[in-house]
Amino acid sequence: MARMKFLCDADRCIECNACVTACKNEHEVPWGINRRRVVTINDGKPGERSVSMACMHCTDAPCAAVCPVNCFYTTADAVVLHSKDLCIGCGYCFYACPFGAPQYPKVGNFGSRGKMDKCTYCAGGPEADGSVAEYEKYGANRLAEGKLPLCAEMCSTKSLLAGDGDIIASIYKERVVKRGYGSGAWGWKTAYKESIAS
Amino acid sequence: MLIKRSERQARHGTLAAAFANQTSGNLDRRTFLRRSGLAAGGLAAIGALPLTSVRKAEAAGSSPGPGATIRKNICTHCSVGCTVIAEVENGVWVGQEPAWDSPINRGSHCAKGAATREVVHGDRRLKYPMKLVNGQWNKISWDTAINEIGDKLMEIRAKSGSDSVYWLGSAKFTNEGSYLNRKLAAFWGTNNSDHQARICHSTTVAGVANTWGYGAMTNSYTDIRNSKTLFFLGGNPAEAHPVSLQHLLEGKELNRANFIVADPRLTRTAAHATEYMRLRPGTDIPVLWGMLWHIFKNGWEDKEFIAQRVYGMDDIRKEVEKWTPEEVERVSGVPGEQLKRVAEMFAKDKPSCLIWAMGQTQHTVGTANVRASCILLLATGNVGGPGKGANIFRGHTNVQGATDLGLDIVTLPLYYGLVEGAWRHWSRVWEVDYQWFVDRFDKTTAVDGKVTTTMNTPGIPSTRWYEAAIPTKDPKDNVSQKDNLKAMFVMGHGGNTVARMPEVVKGIEKLDLLVVADPHPTTWAVLSERKDGTYLLPVATSYETSGSRTASNRAIQWGEQIVKPIFESKDDNEIMYLLAKKLGFADLMFKNIKVENNVPVVEDVLREINRGGWSTGYCGQSPERLKLHMANQKSFDMRTQKATSGPDEIRGDYYGLPWPCWGTPEFRHPGTPLLYNTNLSIKEGGGTFRARFGVERVIDSKVMENGQEVTKQVRHNLLAEGSYSKDSELKDGYPEFTLGVLKKLGWDTDLTPAELAVIQKVNPTTPDAVSWSIDLSGGIQRVAITHGCIPYGNGKARANAFGLPDAIPTHREPIYTSRPELVAKYPTLPNARQFRMPNVGFDMQKAAVDQGLAKQFPLILSSGRLVEYEGGGEETRSNKWLAELQQDMFIEINPDDAGPRGVKDGAWVWVTGAEGGAKARMKALVTERVGKGVTWCPFHFAGWYQGVDQRGKYPKGADPVVLGESVNTLTTYGYDPVTGMQEPKATLCQIKAA
Amino acid sequence: MTGILARARFIIGALLLLFVVAIVAPVSAQQPTRVNPTESSVKEDQLLQQMQIINGRGSLPDAKSYNLEQPAGRDWRAFQDVTLPWIGAIAILGMLALLVVFYLIRGMVKIENGRSGRLVVRFNTFERFTHWMTATCFITLAISGLNIAFGKSLLLPLLGAEAFSGWSQWAKYAHNYLSFPFTIGVVVILLIWVANNIPNQIDIEWLKRGGGIAGHDHPPAEKFNGGQKGIYWIVVIGGTTSAITGYLLMFPFYGTGIAGMQTAQMIHGVVAMLFVAAMLAHIYIGTIGMEGAFEAMSEGTVDENWAKQHHSLWLDEVKNKAPSGATPRATPAE
Repeated sequence: MARMKFLCDADRCIECNACVTACKNEHEVPWGINRRRVVTINDGKPGERSVSMACMHCTDAPCAAVCPVNCFYTTADAVVLHSKDLCIGCGYCFYACPFGAPQYPKVGNFGSRGKMDKCTYCAGGPEADGSVAEYEKYGANRLAEGKLPLCAEMCSTKSLLAGDGDIIASIYKERVVKRGYGSGAWGWKTAYKESIAS
Repeated sequence: MLIKRSERQARHGTLAAAFANQTSGNLDRRTFLRRSGLAAGGLAAIGALPLTSVRKAEAAGSSPGPGATIRKNICTHCSVGCTVIAEVENGVWVGQEPAWDSPINRGSHCAKGAATREVVHGDRRLKYPMKLVNGQWNKISWDTAINEIGDKLMEIRAKSGSDSVYWLGSAKFTNEGSYLNRKLAAFWGTNNSDHQARICHSTTVAGVANTWGYGAMTNSYTDIRNSKTLFFLGGNPAEAHPVSLQHLLEGKELNRANFIVADPRLTRTAAHATEYMRLRPGTDIPVLWGMLWHIFKNGWEDKEFIAQRVYGMDDIRKEVEKWTPEEVERVSGVPGEQLKRVAEMFAKDKPSCLIWAMGQTQHTVGTANVRASCILLLATGNVGGPGKGANIFRGHTNVQGATDLGLDIVTLPLYYGLVEGAWRHWSRVWEVDYQWFVDRFDKTTAVDGKVTTTMNTPGIPSTRWYEAAIPTKDPKDNVSQKDNLKAMFVMGHGGNTVARMPEVVKGIEKLDLLVVADPHPTTWAVLSERKDGTYLLPVATSYETSGSRTASNRAIQWGEQIVKPIFESKDDNEIMYLLAKKLGFADLMFKNIKVENNVPVVEDVLREINRGGWSTGYCGQSPERLKLHMANQKSFDMRTQKATSGPDEIRGDYYGLPWPCWGTPEFRHPGTPLLYNTNLSIKEGGGTFRARFGVERVIDSKVMENGQEVTKQVRHNLLAEGSYSKDSELKDGYPEFTLGVLKKLGWDTDLTPAELAVIQKVNPTTPDAVSWSIDLSGGIQRVAITHGCIPYGNGKARANAFGLPDAIPTHREPIYTSRPELVAKYPTLPNARQFRMPNVGFDMQKAAVDQGLAKQFPLILSSGRLVEYEGGGEETRSNKWLAELQQDMFIEINPDDAGPRGVKDGAWVWVTGAEGGAKARMKALVTERVGKGVTWCPFHFAGWYQGVDQRGKYPKGADPVVLGESVNTLTTYGYDPVTGMQEPKATLCQIKAA
Repeated sequence: MTGILARARFIIGALLLLFVVAIVAPVSAQQPTRVNPTESSVKEDQLLQQMQIINGRGSLPDAKSYNLEQPAGRDWRAFQDVTLPWIGAIAILGMLALLVVFYLIRGMVKIENGRSGRLVVRFNTFERFTHWMTATCFITLAISGLNIAFGKSLLLPLLGAEAFSGWSQWAKYAHNYLSFPFTIGVVVILLIWVANNIPNQIDIEWLKRGGGIAGHDHPPAEKFNGGQKGIYWIVVIGGTTSAITGYLLMFPFYGTGIAGMQTAQMIHGVVAMLFVAAMLAHIYIGTIGMEGAFEAMSEGTVDENWAKQHHSLWLDEVKNKAPSGATPRATPAE
């Protein structure tokens, strides 16, 4: 089985936000929830780099470890998903997540957290693949349709890569060899406890 | 939780059903790799890797579930020409998929492209025709709207003449829409017909065309992959053309190319540079001349290229000598060492290309800027080959096409100009009597009794339309036409794109009639205090209409209607037909165009363009050929853009048949991927510089002869010398082809009798004068190309563009300069009358210096583009997926300027402009992107005016999600003498904490 | 603790960065002649060494989205998954064990002279209402809180995912909503009894003599003895700390960032565990640990002999205040 990962090649990312709106488009994500975002480090200074970030679908995911109700599960493709039926909106996954992925719609009283929402790697949720219920809660299930996450598929510069970890790592390595330097596979050490030589 | 549309249920419901029976199956390996973002050619490196798969399902590619249809159109938000793949079900656009097969975007999009579905289904669209009655928006029917508007237009025509109606068109039109819009103005009887190119690349078109023939990008986005040095001067494609960066960055990686960005801001593009050079806004010429100074001094120029293919380089040398490294640094701020290094890279690490956008064009010296850029390319021999050239990045889907098709005040479609010959040419194509057009135009009788028409006079530039609407104090300053402007008919054009908005507001209020035909109400609807005489017509977006679009690389793509116009919208073509019908010339205007249910058949429109588009090579791109290209996108190689597989009808074609695509469609010219490339034969897309400026230039010069000074005529050869394209039978320069030239060469016998008959018909009295550009048979082009010659002749490019105000590009300080002490040495051009109006830039500059405005307004104000928005921004700010990402208008200010002013990052500030006490309230973005003394604003915002929120003035439910101050409230006077381009890239402002 | 170490590292890192920036600043004010943004691009590893959160600029209004990486979550996770359960288990189970052992050795502390039948008013209605409101809230908060910490291991296997999640959802609501009356209770407790709970010499003496529980000694005590004062301050300080840290978590990003919330959660967890353990002792002594103690809060009155035994000074005070000769509340004993 594939081990799905994300890799943002920071040398290619230009903060065009295509990943962000592609995600909105594919899943009809409401205003205020951003499953993916782009952050620019050292903005305006030489050496500035932008990185697109969402749930990295970590190995041994911290969110799953700290969830008090065990609402997370990992698919055969190593995608970390969760059940909104089980989630109680406690916010622990947000404290644990190294990437700020979990989002909570503000519901009801004093802005308390609703059910957590995050990137699903376009793989839906526990409901039947491609079902209406799945779409309503989690958005489209592209993986079940044989497609990869739309954010990466639509990336303007092919900076954001999605797919099997070995394949995207080799694509990245090939680039590093060609251009003579690496840009660091941002977040890999934290998420997958590995880094790609650069 | 997630809100979903019922339509999506259908899609996923059916998909679920479709996949229910598939329990296993592997994703096709190639598709998987491609979907993993792998560049072509990299497969070998990972050949040993095991193919992993996703959970289930066959490789779906872009195939939708049963019931969903795939439609292809082109993203409207810039000129890269990204294919948009839409999944449509029951007439509803339910999903968007990556367009893997497009040889241009290969699946990619930017934020705007990835959000286009919302453009069509957004609930902020204008839903039905509306009319302003006593300050209130009232819903009306289409019939009422067209009738009332038509009657009012006729009334204005009767009273004030045809020139008092301004037809402002759009770069969002398809080619067919652009052409019809220009045709409509011609049939109405005015040259007051313009569109967005005026404010983006009018100076490029003028400057570049005056240098080597055509005013367009010489190469293409994908060709930049071949460059070894990329020099960006006045462009930020990472934000304005994000998908192009795919090619630029890959090129940078593959070739280890120099990626040099010169910009006042450290932009997102500059962040990826190998060399970043900060210059003061408006000092492009000093920088370019400074580079040439080093190049000439060290002999790095391409001497052979200059000798064979360039005219007047010696005149440039004289000007360049003045720009020593010290002077360049004094004027532009660029350090001498860096400039030398950059000059050396550009001249030596070839092929080099120059990339620019509005950073060069939007200046009073815009035309001179782009000319200087061309000259740098010419001096280093970097034109006419892969990886070289002037890569001019344009801003809309079809701004290139709309420009080509003459949505312009100086020309009829396809650059024929406004001379009698041009009118006669189009009269023949349209099969309408020439005299009919003469009668449509206003006549003025001069003192000597001579009657002239405005038929051959350039119209009013859209940058200055409002001046023509306001009667001047002194009648001699008034607009040179029968009366002031009384009506604006605006189609797909924002109202906040023109500088000096406080003046624009006055102009809008003066109009008797304002019609805004647009998917959104736009700034036009809310900016003024108008109470009546204003109509809003809901127009379909480009995604709701079929037709061709010309990308920046001159490639033409056929986009098909994704869904029918939503709500009560109609597409541009239908509205123009209804109007023509109301105005009484529909039968003539649509004589050769079939009209079904009031909608002109776009294929017929394109065929008519083909029949008249000889001058620019718009003659070979028939709708059939374009549709075939679109259907077989995957047959085209991304690197070369050439079809290497697929049906025979497209084999060997370049994608989108980039113009010039010579001859008739049957001639099957493959299109010209790179202009002026002598390494290809003409019939395979090669070219030479266009012999557009005559065969020779005769100058009177004084020489000493026998001790006496005499005036002698010196003849300069303007034709190429010893340079010609591959397979050319003429091994030297040659003039443009006419029947007469063919006869001299003895090639006229190659013409068929049918072709000869058509040529005879074009000019029965002197058929020998019929040239390649007005020969409706295409015979002259065919014969010339068969002999390996290009129809327009083989000339030299002009380093000295005699005839232009600055034949040798000359640095001139902006009107509102931050360096008044430089004005004495580098003043702007003297006042002059241009485009029916006086240009008093000189007086304005002098007054600004005398009043010490640079002290009161010590910060340079520049403007530009954000990746999330486009143009005036109405459409993109109404798109909730995009609007969420940029919710406030802001001004970038350097920490060194912010500190003393007490301005904090994210806090509100008041920005005041240098003219008329203009002010605007926005947020401060304190950043080192801009250098000290420079500020920068995005130009997409509107809906706030001088601190007042105008949301209430929009028709209910049609207000954009995000509103903000327009930067053009603060921008100032200043116009390029050649095109009327405004100067929003370099003016002055002051900021204080709000 | 890893978290605190991490914070310290963050602060040092930030200072270092400031220092670097300060050195670089004057240089960048002039234009360097070689600016190669690609060459000088920021590196993840360096940034992670310098500071705990990599953050930058974004265009969304939500400032927390500008944090790109915050590996501190891993430290927090370790605390949450390992340290806190151990602290909780040791504190709570330890306390329970202690009490059991104590009970087995000492048994219930009897009223040595038997009940006198004369009752002394110890807590008025308002005091008792406050106590019980706070106590009820506390117990609910404790159970729902412990559910978050231990429910996954203890309850989930028994209830199954759906039922456990449903219960936990209600428990979360209860935890959030009951925090308000609990907080009010803590504030009122602080106000009404603070005068009686200032530690003094008597308490030291009382403590030295083992509070009379370990042996059969009866050191004099005021209304509240040293042990009760300890409980009082545990309630006030523990309650306030839990409340403050709890509200920081309940209103995310009002007044604190992600690091602050992680710290707040750690404090909340540790304090709550210790608080629960302390309250177990309080409950023990107020119920089966001591004869005649529970009625002080249930009825509001105590037997005079109980008062004499445990709060002699207070009894004297009460008697002195009362009309001379009169017995306190002459309610005849049965």
